[in-house]
Amino acid sequence: MLDYLLNGLALGAIFAFIALGYTMVYGIIKLINFAHGEFFMFGAFLGFFVLRDLGVERLPLPQPLPILLSYVAALTAASLGAGALAVVTERIAYRPVRRAGRIAALITAVCVSLILQNLAIKAWGAKPQAYPQPREWIDTDDLAGAAPANLYAVKRVETTGGEVVENEVRVVEAGAALDDATRARLRAEGHERVYRQVPLDRGWTRGFVLLALLLWAPVLWFLVKRTRMGKAMRAVSEDSDAARLMGIDINRVIAWTFFLGAFVAGVGGVAYCVSYGKVEPLTGFLPGMKAFIAAVIGGIGSIPGAILGGLVLGTAESLIPYALREGLGWEAAFAWKDAIAFALLILILVFRPTGILGRAVREKV
Amino acid sequence: MSGELLFWLNLLVTVGIYTLLAVSLNLINGHAGMFHLGHHGFWALGAYAATWLTLNAASLPGPLLYVLSLLLAMAVAAIGGLTIGIPCLRLRGDYLAIATLGFGEIVRIAVQNSPHDFLGGSLGTKVPRVLMEVTRTTQVPFRFLTLAIVAVACAAAILVFRNFLRSLPGRRLLAVAQDETAAGLLGIDPTRSKVLAFVMGSAVAGLAGGLYAHYMGGINPLNFNFMEMVKMFLVIVLGGMGSLSGCVIGAFLVVATEQLLNRAPEAIASWWQVLFPLILALMIVFRPQGIFGRKEITDMIRAWRRSPA
Repeated sequence: MLDYLLNGLALGAIFAFIALGYTMVYGIIKLINFAHGEFFMFGAFLGFFVLRDLGVERLPLPQPLPILLSYVAALTAASLGAGALAVVTERIAYRPVRRAGRIAALITAVCVSLILQNLAIKAWGAKPQAYPQPREWIDTDDLAGAAPANLYAVKRVETTGGEVVENEVRVVEAGAALDDATRARLRAEGHERVYRQVPLDRGWTRGFVLLALLLWAPVLWFLVKRTRMGKAMRAVSEDSDAARLMGIDINRVIAWTFFLGAFVAGVGGVAYCVSYGKVEPLTGFLPGMKAFIAAVIGGIGSIPGAILGGLVLGTAESLIPYALREGLGWEAAFAWKDAIAFALLILILVFRPTGILGRAVREKV
Repeated sequence: MSGELLFWLNLLVTVGIYTLLAVSLNLINGHAGMFHLGHHGFWALGAYAATWLTLNAASLPGPLLYVLSLLLAMAVAAIGGLTIGIPCLRLRGDYLAIATLGFGEIVRIAVQNSPHDFLGGSLGTKVPRVLMEVTRTTQVPFRFLTLAIVAVACAAAILVFRNFLRSLPGRRLLAVAQDETAAGLLGIDPTRSKVLAFVMGSAVAGLAGGLYAHYMGGINPLNFNFMEMVKMFLVIVLGGMGSLSGCVIGAFLVVATEQLLNRAPEAIASWWQVLFPLILALMIVFRPQGIFGRKEITDMIRAWRRSPA
């Protein structure tokens, strides 16, 4: 139960990271930025490349500092990259339709989302790729002492094209034992090295996302409430024409909002893929939708609302299926968690469209 | 030769199915002015309802089963439209869009997680052929037959929608679409008008689903994804939101482009996925009223006849 609650909170924190960008952009230009999930995916891919190229899989496990530093590098690259993509997207796709009405802008956003998804498929392939994780390397001679779980063996193989690639095979499933015959076979087949996949401790990843959220929430609050740019953002959100008349450069403010929202989503992207162990071009779609739901639950346009909504949605997505499974004996409940999230969205929209922390706006007729 | 014929027959049947989807989506999005993004959900409901009946009432004579399954498809989709419409249609604009999109996704998740012995779950299921035996040699007559049925269905749907829009409830709907508050002040119940349009639209989408299931001979939850929704949207935006004949042209343009591109080498064909959202975005920015706008092809012919050569 506690385990499910913590899982839910950690997932919720990731939703919150993405929801922040939705809510900030919506607050300022009343656009549901459908492509926000793709900024998140882009960030996750950049983090993937950094982790892979820094060779986090090869770093010696007992020393945590280099590993920690590579994760920091990955997060930085992901955030900056996602932010940059958001600024470019805003400039190319959203600025021309800003005056064309909300529906036109929303359709454009849907299109941008699909275009980015498919460009990512073209660039990086549609297949999910394993997110690099720290591994524990074991000397082949030391195999006798190796703990019998999740062992992989690596062999260098020359392909027909003359390229040298590392071939990995799973030697021992989790929980099984490594017997002498297998050991002999591995050596005979010329496997140079053996490693054990060390799944990042769930406690660690959970702690990391929650801590990051705790760290980021005040920073964002400060940026929006206490800086000049934040003041300008709030002014544009309230009345963009009046803000322009007061000499605020609206385009800069909007670009900055997009950047900030996507920057935070980049953090969420890496965190999400580290917890789920893989990345693919469609990574952004579902978490993006969920984060939007989170933003609506919390009250779209409100920054504390996004965080609260994310945590509420993550917890609900974890605890409701848990309760259904334990209480009603419905084994398949977890397969339905996405449907639960969407049902929650419809309920919230129907009964309290302003969300938990949103303000009701009276429409003038 | 036969391959070429099969290709074009398949293209035309697909155009017909997309026309049905587009005219029904157009009634909701174009004429009624609601922003509905869950049409793929109704399509899936229809396809699965028809499949269910076909699998479970195999003892009935083929053509009867075919017709009954299509009726059930329409009924199930209409009930779906009613259930989702009554709560959601109080929402406006982008909120409605997201709520209906949520519904479409719920349908997809539901069929994907259905038990394997019920509707095939994530793997999908085969639909028994009820109209005629379909083998390699009878593909051509089967496709001709389906094409005829789909063409009749399209003509019927367009006729019904055209007459509906000229009737009193239809005029009410157009009034609500133009200005909900003003229409309300004139004594029109906006929610009722909108729910009516929504239910009619979803029923026709269900019909398209039933026809699709029987034509393909198998269904898979992955067929009914959000990409398809965006494609339908492109059809009505190309044709012109609010034009029935525009839907036919739009459907032809979109389906023909897709299928002709599919014959090109993979490296070119795969750009379609990037191309069609791009076209949609460009249309929205530069010609949001589409090719036809709100006009019908018959209006244009009339205007052209009247004008002195």
